Amino acid sequence: MNEPMLGGMAQTALDRALPLLRPGNTNCGGCGMSSLLQMLGHAAADRTLQFVMPASCAAVCGGVFPLSTFGVPTLMTTFASGAAAASGAAAVAQLNGEDTRVVCLAGDGGTYDIGIASLSAAAERNEDILYICYDNEIYGNTGGQRSSATPAGAIATNLRQGKQQPKKDILAIIAAHRVPYAASISLAHADDAVRKMRVALDLRGFRFLLALSPCPTGWKSEPALGMELVRLAVRSGLFPVLEIFDGRRHVINIEPDFSDEALDMYLSLQRRFQRSGITAADLRPDLDQLWQNLRALSGRIVPARRSS
Amino acid sequence: MSAQLLSANHGAAMAATLAGRANREGRGFCGGVYPITPSTECMEFLCLQEIEKGRVVRTESEHSAMGVCIGASASGARAFTATSSNGLAYMAENCMAAANLRLPVVLAVANRTLGPPWNLWADHGDALMLRDLGLLQFFCADNQEVFDTVLCAFRLAEDPEVMMPAMVCMDGFILSHSVTMTEISDQEQVDRFLPLTTIPHQLGHTPHTLGQIEVPHQTEMHRQQHHAAMLGVPRVYEGVQDSFEAIFGRRPADAVQAYRADDAETLIVSMGTIGATVERAVTMLRAQGHRVGALRVRMFRPLPVAAIRKSFAGKKRIAVIDRNISLGLGGILWGEVRALAEPGTVVQNYLAGIGGGDVRPEHIVSVLADLLPRQVAGLPEMVEAV
Amino acid sequence: MNHQSHAGNTGQAHTNVLPVGLSFPLEVRVHGRGGQGGVTCAKLIATLYSQMGLQVQTFGDYGSERSGAPVQAYTRVDRVAIANRNKVYRADHLIVLDRSLMGPQVLSGAAPGALLLLNTGAGLDSYAGRYTNCRLGTVDATAIAREHGIGSNAVVIVNTTILGAYARLLGVPLAVLETAYASLGLSDDLAAAQHAYDAVQVRDVIRPAGDAPTTSVLSAEMPAVGPLTGHNVDCPPTLMTGAWSSQTPSYQDHDAPCNLACPAGNDVVGFVQALGRDGAEAALAILLRTQPLPSVCGRVCPAPCMQSCNRKSFDGAVNIRSLERWIADHSDLRPVQQAAERRRRIAVVGGGPAGLSAAYQLALHGHGVAIYEAGPALGGVLRSGIPAFRLPREALQRDLDRILALDIDVHCNSRLGSDDLRRLGDDYDATIVCIGFGPAFGLSIPGAELDGVEQGLAFLERVKCGPVSLQGQVLVVGGGNTAIDCARSALRCGATAVKLVYRRGREDMPAIDEEIEDAESEGVRLALYRQPVAFAGNGNVSSALLAEVEAGAPDASGRRRPVVTQRASSVTCDKVLLALGQGQDMDLLPSDWEIRKDRAWRGDQAEQTWFAGDCASGDGTVTHAIGNGRRVALAVLRSLNGEAGELPSGATGTVAPAQIRFSHFEVTPPHRDKQISPSARRVSFEESNLGLSGPEEAGRCFSCGHCTQCDTCLLYCPDGVIRRSGDGYRIDVNYCKGCGMCVAECPRSAMEMHEKTT
Repeated sequence: MNEPMLGGMAQTALDRALPLLRPGNTNCGGCGMSSLLQMLGHAAADRTLQFVMPASCAAVCGGVFPLSTFGVPTLMTTFASGAAAASGAAAVAQLNGEDTRVVCLAGDGGTYDIGIASLSAAAERNEDILYICYDNEIYGNTGGQRSSATPAGAIATNLRQGKQQPKKDILAIIAAHRVPYAASISLAHADDAVRKMRVALDLRGFRFLLALSPCPTGWKSEPALGMELVRLAVRSGLFPVLEIFDGRRHVINIEPDFSDEALDMYLSLQRRFQRSGITAADLRPDLDQLWQNLRALSGRIVPARRSS
Repeated sequence: MSAQLLSANHGAAMAATLAGRANREGRGFCGGVYPITPSTECMEFLCLQEIEKGRVVRTESEHSAMGVCIGASASGARAFTATSSNGLAYMAENCMAAANLRLPVVLAVANRTLGPPWNLWADHGDALMLRDLGLLQFFCADNQEVFDTVLCAFRLAEDPEVMMPAMVCMDGFILSHSVTMTEISDQEQVDRFLPLTTIPHQLGHTPHTLGQIEVPHQTEMHRQQHHAAMLGVPRVYEGVQDSFEAIFGRRPADAVQAYRADDAETLIVSMGTIGATVERAVTMLRAQGHRVGALRVRMFRPLPVAAIRKSFAGKKRIAVIDRNISLGLGGILWGEVRALAEPGTVVQNYLAGIGGGDVRPEHIVSVLADLLPRQVAGLPEMVEAV
Repeated sequence: MNHQSHAGNTGQAHTNVLPVGLSFPLEVRVHGRGGQGGVTCAKLIATLYSQMGLQVQTFGDYGSERSGAPVQAYTRVDRVAIANRNKVYRADHLIVLDRSLMGPQVLSGAAPGALLLLNTGAGLDSYAGRYTNCRLGTVDATAIAREHGIGSNAVVIVNTTILGAYARLLGVPLAVLETAYASLGLSDDLAAAQHAYDAVQVRDVIRPAGDAPTTSVLSAEMPAVGPLTGHNVDCPPTLMTGAWSSQTPSYQDHDAPCNLACPAGNDVVGFVQALGRDGAEAALAILLRTQPLPSVCGRVCPAPCMQSCNRKSFDGAVNIRSLERWIADHSDLRPVQQAAERRRRIAVVGGGPAGLSAAYQLALHGHGVAIYEAGPALGGVLRSGIPAFRLPREALQRDLDRILALDIDVHCNSRLGSDDLRRLGDDYDATIVCIGFGPAFGLSIPGAELDGVEQGLAFLERVKCGPVSLQGQVLVVGGGNTAIDCARSALRCGATAVKLVYRRGREDMPAIDEEIEDAESEGVRLALYRQPVAFAGNGNVSSALLAEVEAGAPDASGRRRPVVTQRASSVTCDKVLLALGQGQDMDLLPSDWEIRKDRAWRGDQAEQTWFAGDCASGDGTVTHAIGNGRRVALAVLRSLNGEAGELPSGATGTVAPAQIRFSHFEVTPPHRDKQISPSARRVSFEESNLGLSGPEEAGRCFSCGHCTQCDTCLLYCPDGVIRRSGDGYRIDVNYCKGCGMCVAECPRSAMEMHEKTT
């Protein structure tokens, strides 16, 4: 009861014959996308999956021809076409009565930026796709440039002083399409993440999962601390963990404690925030507003921010 | 078999519909479509057809339309889309991806000038921009040819020896919107003509990846293999023609279509509907005693080098009429075929109908008038509207 | 992704003289792993030569892989403009940032007499007979860079460090690096470069002809490439990413603070986890290794383990004491006596907790033991000094029965003198004296001799032997457990009111906190900072004069010394119980003996007579006595076997609260003991604390420093290279990238990260 709630999650009788992400992949050590794929593997258990991946670190880690890093059939597409190609694959699976879950795995560049048109269209068409965005808040594959997912205060290789604008609220954008299921998942809360992955895998229609994905290389942080960073982001309210059903019903899954201590810790453990010197106090007004909106959407009474 | 009054756009869509239905016992049919003038009619028509085990995805862009086709084709389905002009330019990245992934998607293109400035009318520049990407390219001259070529394109693209996307071009409006009687084959005939789509590298159940990283040596080899497959297409196409003829009772046009060329001293080379105009002009000029013939290049990629060279043999003068321009050089067809003529042959380039201007027999006559006195070729000449 | 760039445009050319012995064109090849900074290294080299007025060219040869994957970078140097844009196939200088990369591919095409600079933790000596055709330099750049904090723990950036060594090999002063580093914004790393400059070891070319002939990469045959259209089978990845890492995780137990805090030396984590996992029997088996009196300690131990519990500051310490009680009350397991290699006969003088513990350990190890107890029964203070409502007779008896089931002779009513002690030396191989404290301290104040002023211990013993009846006001003097026991017993004997007088503050009271709370809830009132200075009465005590006490300067124990003031007030009382502690009394000790380090000595002659428990250590708790008894018993055995020295401590470092991942645990308040209501229990000698209602509390144990197979490492390993295996986990080192996530995420600090050395 006291142990982390992992019972039956890993290495069970339901394990896939092959992991989704196999050893020998070329992702950096401590990559959040790797963690995500491990958890997705546990969540998927013996379900039939097919991956579609636009240009991304995931695409690069797929291995050099003819190797296949992923334990399921995988199609690499152009950067902007993740959701489109997945639509095609899902359509054919459906036409053939196959129970294949077509999973489009994309980074934030392929989701928030170049791929947003095809993503939005696929969402609007309610294609039978599970779209997972591993959001490391930069163009990691090209060495760490700014994307519209880059948070305020972070530098990037093409951004000297720290981004001025807050990151795009992609979850709200997707929810506005009234898709059956959109959720953000915390990789640091494996029980919550795996549960929602299962929900998303088993629903039909367009499902969207957003994972804050630590990138030690781009965030300039200790690889070992990736999960802790996610935890801090969740705790502080920076990364809200919620589910949105049909674009209407909002359920907050993990209550933050809104502590500035966690937020400052989050910022200080990543060198990308160093130059701008951004602090919890700078971010808090926006976060308060964000959460006020979320409270209103989730129909919950606004709790007082814990005074420190 | 029934004759129907259809536009070429509709004919292409009809052919795609029949081809799609023909794969109902296989992995089905999937198209991704997005409207753009003048190819819109094609996608509209397609979207209104009932296709057993088929789906047409109305995407938000041409890029995604081809994206859907890539996903569908990689999953083993027969895939089709249609576009024009800027749509094709926008789709280009995915056309290249489909080609590099060796996915037999068929693409109908109603050729149109690239813009802005916006211009809705026919120009081959859109299709030719994708010349080097590894797609088969056909240019048609009439409605029946469009219908037949789309069917042949599926057969050819999906041939195990070929296995690459194919583009079937028709001049925007001039052909895409012209309505004529078209022989529409029966489903049963099409079923016989088109085997079930089999893509050997499609995603199945084994975890293999399509499109992962390649190192230089591998890309070099894959390009070589793709190129070799391209070079084999003229031979494969002859088999397709035979089969088509056996089933449908008519023979689809050759890769290069010659008209009164054998005994001609002067040859007029063109693509698309200009070819038909040229044939009319040749008839007129022959009547005036000119030993002139016509050659229409239907298959532009791969370029049927042997057939063209054979047609060029012994000609004194060759006019190459291009409805396109590679700025800084001249006509693209001319750039490609001029080296195929024998030494001493005058190969002169004429640019006609660029931006969609109506090319009439009078233009061809003026071309001949310009060409005949030439002892050596000059710079590409613009054929001004008469 | 072959990216070429010209580096070295740093403005003014340096006026340095060229290093001697360079011939041009000079070609440098850097081999590293993604993240180590190989490309920047080559760029720095180019900058360096550029400053010397030479033409340079540098570029990286990237793969598609990420952090950790092999990367090459090239620098070309010449006096004239460089037209060659090929990769470097015939390197004059080879710089290898990671020694695991060393292989034919690195050495391929090296020019004869090439300079080979190797980042390695192994010294130059380990390369005897290898790379003999090269001028070899070795330096542990990884250790140096790590020391200087360059990069992260998992990916140490070594480029700027190793260049210090390169400068040394070139024979140029380190200062020439300054401009180059400054131009790339790397000036902070100069200290590390200096370190490497000083540390590099160099060996000259031994055999110019070389080892094996080097092969050219050009001759390597390209593998056949199947067509894309024929690609439909599964080809698993073949890359051994384990070679990328500079550090590696392992499972390593660490000392839980409770274990370290337990005076008895109990494996607290061990028995609590065993209870949760396998039940009371398994838990008792672990307890019985060190603890002969679990029923007793499960009730009366002050539980320092709970004070140090890492859960304390999170949501309350694990209720360890009551878990121990639960285990003792729910298992009848008997320990199995081992067979001794050589059976000894040992006498134990005193049957209190220390004596019982010593006897138990000796018997457990297969030796013959005789206990000489002065009183009528075993148990010492447990029998006579702890009231039944805290420690029922049956609970003690359970433990005694279990102990006596071993091979132990008991001689009760045997009060020994010094002659007896000498004689035991003849009869037994060794003697352990565990006679506890001596007589209780009294009060030398007026009226102390009055009737009604009684020693608390005597009172408690009376109460234990039969019904005792009290009336009126009772004053208890003292702040320890005996004082509390007296106060609570007095209530039960009929006292109208009980006041406990203590000269310090409540937080200074040595009594168990919960006991004080219980006493207060039963109605005992505390009179703190008070000290009796006189009793008055006519035959029987009827009042006490209590002086106010102020807290003075701290004494050696850190507690503030009480300073008695002149302010005093009188309180009425009908009974005074003194609980002021006990002294040590060694009447038993022959006059020519003395005690040194728990052992009797006659002059320089060590006797086989030892001392344990309160008579030796004076710690004053049952648990300390048990631990002390055990340790002395084991020391005796070692001494008899001629083994010297202390037992190895086996300490592996305590798990501090900061090493616990609290975020992995849910806030779950402790399970409290069931108590009889204060009103009911203040009139009864029945046990007032009914203990836990179940063993679930065991589930709250963090298991600090001890793997519980919670799967956190397995689940959070980004590469999925951890698998359950047997009783633990197996890490596939062939693929582990050494990111350290498993160690960082381990909720309980049961893993460690090690730098790779081989």
